[in-house]
Amino acid sequence: MSTNILKRAALLLFASIVMPTVTLAQETPLVIGMSTTPTTLDPHEDSSAVQSATSRHIWDSLINLTATSGSAPELATEWTTIDPTHWEFKLRQGVKFHDGSDFDADDVVASLFRARDKPSQGFASYTRNIANVTAKDPHTVVIETKVPDPLLLNSISRIRIISADCKDAPVQEFDSGKCAVGTGAYSFVSYSPGSNLTLKRNDSYFPGASHWSDVTLRFLPDDGARLASLLSNEIDIIEALPADGMSRVQSSSSLQVISGQSSRLVYIGLDVGRDVSPFVKAADGSDLDKNPLKDLKVRRAMLMSINRPAIVDRVMQKNGTVADQFVAKGYAGHSDQVENVGYDPKAAKELLAEAGYPEGFSLTLHGPSGRYVKDAEVLQAVGQMFTRIGIKSRVEVMPWSMYSEEYSKGTYSTYLGSWGVNTGETTNPAVALVATRDEAKGTGRYNGGGVSDPKIDEALAKASSTLDEAQRVPLLQELSTQTFNNLWLLPMHYENVVLGAKKTVTYTPRGDKYTLAYEVKPAN
Amino acid sequence: MVTSIIRRLFQALFVVLAMTVIVFIGVSVIGNPVDILINPDANQVERARVIAHYGLDEPLWKQYFIFLRGLAQGDFGDSFVYGRPALGLILERLPATLELAIAALGIAIVVGLPLGLYAGLYPSRISSRTIMTGSILGFSLPTFWVGLMLIMIFSVELGWLPTNGRGPTLEFLGGQWSFLTSDGLRHLLLPALNLALFKTSLILRLTRAGVQEVLPQDYIKFARAKGLRERRVIAVHVLKNLMIPVVTIVGLEFGSLIAFSVVTESIFAWPGMGKLIIDSINLLDRPVIVAYLMIMVLLFVVLNFVIDICYTILDPRVRLDSKA
Repeated sequence: MSTNILKRAALLLFASIVMPTVTLAQETPLVIGMSTTPTTLDPHEDSSAVQSATSRHIWDSLINLTATSGSAPELATEWTTIDPTHWEFKLRQGVKFHDGSDFDADDVVASLFRARDKPSQGFASYTRNIANVTAKDPHTVVIETKVPDPLLLNSISRIRIISADCKDAPVQEFDSGKCAVGTGAYSFVSYSPGSNLTLKRNDSYFPGASHWSDVTLRFLPDDGARLASLLSNEIDIIEALPADGMSRVQSSSSLQVISGQSSRLVYIGLDVGRDVSPFVKAADGSDLDKNPLKDLKVRRAMLMSINRPAIVDRVMQKNGTVADQFVAKGYAGHSDQVENVGYDPKAAKELLAEAGYPEGFSLTLHGPSGRYVKDAEVLQAVGQMFTRIGIKSRVEVMPWSMYSEEYSKGTYSTYLGSWGVNTGETTNPAVALVATRDEAKGTGRYNGGGVSDPKIDEALAKASSTLDEAQRVPLLQELSTQTFNNLWLLPMHYENVVLGAKKTVTYTPRGDKYTLAYEVKPAN
Repeated sequence: MVTSIIRRLFQALFVVLAMTVIVFIGVSVIGNPVDILINPDANQVERARVIAHYGLDEPLWKQYFIFLRGLAQGDFGDSFVYGRPALGLILERLPATLELAIAALGIAIVVGLPLGLYAGLYPSRISSRTIMTGSILGFSLPTFWVGLMLIMIFSVELGWLPTNGRGPTLEFLGGQWSFLTSDGLRHLLLPALNLALFKTSLILRLTRAGVQEVLPQDYIKFARAKGLRERRVIAVHVLKNLMIPVVTIVGLEFGSLIAFSVVTESIFAWPGMGKLIIDSINLLDRPVIVAYLMIMVLLFVVLNFVIDICYTILDPRVRLDSKA
């Protein structure tokens, strides 16, 4: 048998090396080039963006997370709060899994528990408030929360509903396709880890079948490889179009650049906690007896010295949008009270003198390299701009694996940080970045600057337990106002979502940067 | 022969053990894998639970002994990132790397050996000089650049071959192989060429040097004086005698093709082991790093052994058991 195969291989080697692949006319295939590689198809193992985006093609959730992080009905058609800790969800009737079995409340209960109790704890932050899930009848589910949780809808929009038959299946059975059975827009065809996932249209998908008959997600983390695939017409749409390929795509008659704003905020964190900061020295390099970063005037001068429009325009090659607060207009918690600080190096210098540092001082800026869009380059530019107003800056970047632990625990004086606001509202970044660090309450986990502002803590505590949106929104705005009028963080920019695509397709980028085949539409 | 095998296996065992210690210490010095793996929204309690799940709350020496205990039962541990056994993860990627390495080495030998022989036999011909100049380009051009150029020319501009990826695969001997389908072969061609370029130049230059060293030897003159046909002189007397260094290099290069073809694998999005190990290093996925390096040590030990056996076939004076 093996000789047969070898013979066949030898024949094919010469016969068909330059044979083009034939596509049938009625088929409408779509190939997406993804910039990160998922590690498994098990939708409950890990909740990173690439995992969520990949699993979204096969599975649905109770709630649909919209492009701007809103909540819309999906497998749940309506919901009510019975009391502050009990939510009742009515399930969509007549929905079937890809294998033909019926979807009902048991599947929801099994999935929510599986996501909550998996030892990898990938969904812990979304399931931490879920005390119990019960099936009241085959089409009604009640979720009991430990405390009133205004973010419950957002949290369960992350959790894919699998068939209850697979609730004890290990990761391998999802990767092999045996349990890769959902209710979603596409059904599993094949999966080659680290390479591609191929899918077929689910013709009975309840919101309406997708335009694309066959979808292939190709995992191409290498920038050059991804770009080449687009340029050679093998792929219809690629994520994270490399900045260097932008002009090439723009000048092509058959390709286009699609861009939109993401909800990922990049900021500069400052040590405002310690009285003497380890990487801040006097202008001549001697030790300072106080920490200038604790002075609002100094922080303001620093922000004024940064030419943010120039950074997003040139350093980031338009892959960013200047930011002034946690979230852009249109998201819950955007505050009109936040004062915009513009670029003004002259006034910055005066302000610095006024604060008692006419000679300036020196500091080391720390940051990751290769983690955020052009992170090292952005930091270099900031360092030069600080130096121009008299704050002599040295830039030190390192791989993410070394940087991540250090910056979150507060080793540095000034550092580049970033937060993907994936709930689309401000308690999510505030609780991690500017809430007072408290191990027991789980707040301030990435508060590397030691921010401790009672007004923020108070607003946060109230917002985290208020279910009524009308009362909650002013609290969310208060978080933005407090953080950015005190400049506890220096806001830099929101990263843009930049995709390259054939002109035959259209796509509206999402705030969470997911690229979903179902939302890709044919042009005209 | 048997004692030689046993001695080598013991050596390998020590190398493997030493390496696991180095990896354990090395990875723990770089940083904490949990910081990379965990959802940034997780709070401290949830974080502690994950740390405990991976066994990272134990002191390092204890983690190491837990690892050794698993190893004794053939368990390399579960990958932190992929949530399944590290060994299976690596073996799943092995066919992709193996077929790429074999294809590249095949091209290198088929092209390099005859050209080197030719350049050595007729050193003053213009064609020989052209070959030698070309070989300089072959090993001085960086792989990643040549790879991108190949893609730009053959895929983007001419559109003859796919830019990257592995194409369809067929199951054979328990693994997924792409050389069994025509589309798979088209995917294989460019990355194999890219990897082969350097190896071809190496084998070519090595062969040429060998030919020039062997040609003036007395036994060649004697063979010619005996009236042997030129073809037999070259095929038996010249070629066989220059093969020993070539076989050594081919063997070692085969090892490095398997272990270190990460650049080519990245550019061509080839889902082989090289990409897996780089990803694992970036994510501090210790079980995969350890398992991978252990497999590599074993691979090199086996390869060296095969090379030694080839010596005895090529040169009957070489004995395996003799202390070298």
